Amino acid sequence: MSSPFTAILSSLTRQRGVRASLVVDENDGIVVDSNLQIGQDGDKVAALAASLYRKARLSAKAARLGTATFMQLEAERGRICAAGRNDLVLVVVADPAANIGMIRVEMIKAAGALP
Amino acid sequence: MSITAVEPWVEAPLRKFVEEARTVLALLLHPSGQVIAQFGFARAAAVMSACAPAAAIHASSGELGRQLDGRPFRGLHHAGRDRQLYIAEAATPRGAFIFLTVFDQESSLGLVRMYFDEFSRSLAANAPSAPRREEPVLEEKFEHELNKNLAALFGRG
Repeated sequence: MSSPFTAILSSLTRQRGVRASLVVDENDGIVVDSNLQIGQDGDKVAALAASLYRKARLSAKAARLGTATFMQLEAERGRICAAGRNDLVLVVVADPAANIGMIRVEMIKAAGALP
Repeated sequence: MSITAVEPWVEAPLRKFVEEARTVLALLLHPSGQVIAQFGFARAAAVMSACAPAAAIHASSGELGRQLDGRPFRGLHHAGRDRQLYIAEAATPRGAFIFLTVFDQESSLGLVRMYFDEFSRSLAANAPSAPRREEPVLEEKFEHELNKNLAALFGRG
């Protein structure tokens, strides 16, 4: 079944090294739509990444840095990236070897297309 | 604000839940409405006034789920303007318990649901193996038990 986010998520998941892409409600931390590889727990990633993104956005605002456009978390075995617009957050889980520059460009472009 | 529990095995899982989910209030109760543990409540009267509707909401939403879907609903969420409420059932070897939590913008429904799943598993793992003695809840005994539990939580005889 397709949703208004299917094309955005498919385009992100086609990037090399992307394990999961999700559209998440920033306030609720609930998955709106997702494209996950086997073994990814979408609900957990969504809840935690949305909370993290929200806090990062509020931190940027508190520091008078303006609107947060992109957040990247580097971990031992991969990365979590987030970009948001209008209470929705795009979240990508990627391998350490993924082309993060390309993913960033695609995510910022995709976030701009969010309703 | 401290956690108080009538049954000590409940305390550690509840403490972990409120620390991680950053909720404002939490209440664990028996489906009859008897309180087992609380976090964030200042007065016994407030616990009493939360327990009765929580048990009633759980019973009626469970029945509604059975009528509509053939099984009880898993959880109930109500979003208020500033605070939100989540009620769900936690199954343990000691029987089922109702869990109620109130959260604000410091948390989210996704986080609460995620940490509730962990809490529920931890509660089941911590529960003593002997099942709770099921007795019919008589009106006079119910009040006595309720007062006893409230006294245990708020330190009043």
